[in-house]
Amino acid sequence: MTDCCGPGYASPAEAMKAPAEKLLYTIAIYTGTGIQKPDYLCTIDADPESETYSKVISRLEMPGIGDELHHMGWNACSSCFDDSSMARKYLIVPGVRSTNLHIVDCAADPRNPTLFKVISGKEIKSKTNLSAPHTVHCLGSEIIISMLGDANGNAPGGYLHLNKDFEIVGRWENSMGDIKFGYDFWYQPRHNVMVSSEWAAPNTFMPGFDLEEVGHLKYGREIHFWDFEKKEPKQTMYLGEDGLIPLEVRFHHNPDSSHGFVGAALSANIIHWWKDDAGEWQWEKIIDVENEPHPEWPIPVPGVISVILLSMDDRFLYFCNWLHGDIRQYDISDPHNPVLTGQVWMGGLLGRAPEVNGVQVTGGPQMIQLSLDGKRLYVTTSLFSTWDNQFYPEIRTNGGCMLMVNCDTEKGGMEIDPDFVVDFGKEPNGPSRCHETRYPGGDCTSDIWV
Amino acid sequence: MADTVTITLTNRDNATYQVSPRRPLLETLREQGVDLPWGCEYGGCITCAAKLTEGEVDQRAQVALNNRQINNGYVILCVARPEGDCTLEVGVESHDTLYRNPFLDPLADHELKADIATPKDAAR
Repeated sequence: MTDCCGPGYASPAEAMKAPAEKLLYTIAIYTGTGIQKPDYLCTIDADPESETYSKVISRLEMPGIGDELHHMGWNACSSCFDDSSMARKYLIVPGVRSTNLHIVDCAADPRNPTLFKVISGKEIKSKTNLSAPHTVHCLGSEIIISMLGDANGNAPGGYLHLNKDFEIVGRWENSMGDIKFGYDFWYQPRHNVMVSSEWAAPNTFMPGFDLEEVGHLKYGREIHFWDFEKKEPKQTMYLGEDGLIPLEVRFHHNPDSSHGFVGAALSANIIHWWKDDAGEWQWEKIIDVENEPHPEWPIPVPGVISVILLSMDDRFLYFCNWLHGDIRQYDISDPHNPVLTGQVWMGGLLGRAPEVNGVQVTGGPQMIQLSLDGKRLYVTTSLFSTWDNQFYPEIRTNGGCMLMVNCDTEKGGMEIDPDFVVDFGKEPNGPSRCHETRYPGGDCTSDIWV
Repeated sequence: MADTVTITLTNRDNATYQVSPRRPLLETLREQGVDLPWGCEYGGCITCAAKLTEGEVDQRAQVALNNRQINNGYVILCVARPEGDCTLEVGVESHDTLYRNPFLDPLADHELKADIATPKDAAR
């Protein structure tokens, strides 16, 4: 990176050469736990040479209680690499229940982030009729956030548009078309496309998961291909039973590629899409995780793929089966024919790895974040407060935890690092639950090249 | 309608509070210093659920609870207005039957949320 340029890196290949991450920013929540404290952003020391390695070194509490911090994103990424007026300085940290957006300054003192600004949920609802913020992507110097509901928590919501000074511009999209639900999205500008996925209306998923509501079409089973410049949906792929609750969306980092993937959480499938030689978008199921028998369950346990992630070189696909308790690594050099190259276990309902590195793992592998060089995968165990309470009720007293997995980028393969564990059961205010992670220098879910 | 009603919180040493029946219980109890969980403040997210053991509330604005949770006595404090004196168990301690594993313990058709539930008689 030269002095003349903006944030991020000229290309994915350049990003992979960046220095190793020394700090992690991770969300921890008290919402739904019975502890009446605000959710907070943790700074974790990831420098193996440091005395405080694998420890929380600072905690930034949000001003209110009950936000349920969930996902977050940077104000700027490699999409404005050519804009020297921009810097990767602020994390936008939404509260999915409160709709508050917290703008956190991570640059002034990276080890002690501070609250820069709050955009209140009330203002967002009154100006845009949107609620329940989820995915944050910067878009050149602007920011868009998928909002899963209208002001009353009904689907489909839409997209909130902020300018670089964190002022509400309004709704980003020109139309939601026939989209029924929102969730995650990723864009690939060289193909003028954005792909969005579907969870459910906030009023459906926030109180917890009723399986019967899937049959009543209260949960998603479609993905949507947008005309990115026109800001409107252009084509819908009905995934049906193969694609129940499609959540995390990832395009290849290579900006020229049209290949992308989505994890269908309840079907426990990976769906792959690409543009064919005739310029038509196609999709196929490439991975099907079998349901597993459980001694106390009348039906086999689905994997519940809560997250997927691609390495910066687009060679490896990672995903978690939150209910089974495994993380898998697939070589997707041929995206039509993935090859399983690694698998590790932590927590989960199948009892394969109840304790790791001396910590009882409550929950299963859930959010993951990969280092730019592809070698270190950080994993947290909480999904969403109400769903945690349904599937892993002991998490209330045990809290969540963070582990690190060493990934072999030559031959493939994964091993849980024996020296890294952050036990959120031992937080000063009581057991909390950890969720999404970002690195100050960028990571494998932040950066998009235009 | 009475100007105030009495709310008793059994898991707060049976403390009693005089509140207006015209405003949501979350607001009126918090104003008097009761430490309660909450999230969305529009009746959609279940974080503030409490268990009503005596009395009646008007919680028509809530959209979070399914019929089983309602039958178990749960009310959504951010939108529930008391229709008279009420006794409540509050906070996460009251959530013992609020959450269930949906695979182990399915809902019957009449136990779904109101907008998709089939009446019990019709289901037979």
